[in-house]
Amino acid sequence: MTPSTTLDAFANLSAALTGFDAAQLIGTGNAELFWDLLVARAGPANAEALLTVWTEQVEAEAHRDRAIRIAILSDRRYGPMARNLIRLWYVGTWKQLPADWRGAYAPTLADGDIIPAPQAYTEGLLWPAVGANPPGAKPFGYAMWAKPPRVTLDSKDTPHA
Amino acid sequence: MSLHVIQNVEGLRRHLYAALQLEHATIPPYLTALYSIRPGTNAEAAQIIRTVAVEEMLHLTLVGNVLNAIGGRVDLTRPGFVPAYPAYLPDGETDFQVSLQRFSPEAVETFLRIERPASLDAPEIRTVSRTPHPSGIDAARVSDAGEEHFYSIGEFYKAIESGLKFLHAQMGDKLFCGDRSRQIGPEYYYSGGSGLIEVTDIDSALAALELIAEQGEGIHADIFDEDGEIAHYYRFHQLVAGKYYQPGDSPHEPSGAPVPVDWSAVYPVRTNARLDRFSSADLRESAAAFNTDYARFLKSLTEAFDGKPDLFLEAVGDMFRLKDAFGQLVRTPLGDDETAAPTFEIDAAMEALR
Repeated sequence: MTPSTTLDAFANLSAALTGFDAAQLIGTGNAELFWDLLVARAGPANAEALLTVWTEQVEAEAHRDRAIRIAILSDRRYGPMARNLIRLWYVGTWKQLPADWRGAYAPTLADGDIIPAPQAYTEGLLWPAVGANPPGAKPFGYAMWAKPPRVTLDSKDTPHA
Repeated sequence: MSLHVIQNVEGLRRHLYAALQLEHATIPPYLTALYSIRPGTNAEAAQIIRTVAVEEMLHLTLVGNVLNAIGGRVDLTRPGFVPAYPAYLPDGETDFQVSLQRFSPEAVETFLRIERPASLDAPEIRTVSRTPHPSGIDAARVSDAGEEHFYSIGEFYKAIESGLKFLHAQMGDKLFCGDRSRQIGPEYYYSGGSGLIEVTDIDSALAALELIAEQGEGIHADIFDEDGEIAHYYRFHQLVAGKYYQPGDSPHEPSGAPVPVDWSAVYPVRTNARLDRFSSADLRESAAAFNTDYARFLKSLTEAFDGKPDLFLEAVGDMFRLKDAFGQLVRTPLGDDETAAPTFEIDAAMEALR
């Protein structure tokens, strides 16, 4: 895959895992950062194999939700990676992969908990999902604390309507 | 041409409306350059552009106060209020257009032209002529006689100031017939430059215009004003010169600390992006949503000027939301080594809100 098709596939996989659309995920500016982190922590072979399963066995399936549960989330190799990605997109934190997973699939790679960049936190999906601003970031203006939150799940929604 | 460009109240209102358009027209270009800067880089440049953009918002509000004071109406929702970029400025400069573009030497060059001093080479008001251009703004046609073209924003404001004095001499305080409850006071503006001035008479009107001229291009080529604040033109010039100005410096010869600039630490946003040129439907939807939010924001500001000043506080919340959406667009790759940006095609979005 070329770098741009890899990132597209990663964004589409991430969209299926998180429930946000790919354009929103790319708009966070974190897609490349997260892909690079996955490659570094799970190893290039595992990261690319995950994308291949996604594009070949899940993406085009009519019952995609079921397909992703069977081929990825329930899979011993791909499941822990996918769950780590969900956590990474939502709260901006990469958790060390489980010890048995590392033993089986990436015995030589170092891994540990990390927040890969400040914007992993500020652009975390948790915040639009709960309708709040990330505490300590994204100031919303003087006296706005007296108003109901105006964060929406979908950036195309209009909170005024 | 007669001695006074502005002959009657209607003419004064038209010029002040053009001034509103003018102040606003500079903001999308400044914001596009500002938000194209990658977070964590170019802190000095970002600070310079941000402070100028915030002061343009102050100027817009000051002009709004003057227009309301003489019984005009501040309507930011009118078709053509936001120009289609690239655009000529509403006061009619003919030798350059303003684009929505990334932070770059070309962008700063345009900013210097926007803020150029009035009296660098000639003391009198100069108007220059041009043939009408499709992307020009109607407000250039502000006089009864036809189009006027001012060499600089400073000269445009001098013409307004002289019209204001001329009409006040004729009409006295009847000129200031506006409802005082429509004045936006200092409690509604914070974070940048000076405070707001409520306009109720000739003195406060002149003070409001003076503040705009002083902060903008500087008057008589002064680099610093009496409060020690540096004029916009010279603020931007620091980015070209790579050095800060300090008191005592001559124009174009700053001698202060270095201003580090990294032109490469920038999202490569597409210049004057258009909705219909985005190939992704998702992206078109997000960019259209930005325009709709912006149109709604201008509508809400218009209501604030129309006697509901409390809406100004909520509008500040809108600005932060717009900033967030702005960031999402500039981080979205377009596939050809460019990224997206808000298109500011506001007329269509405003029309859809009616």
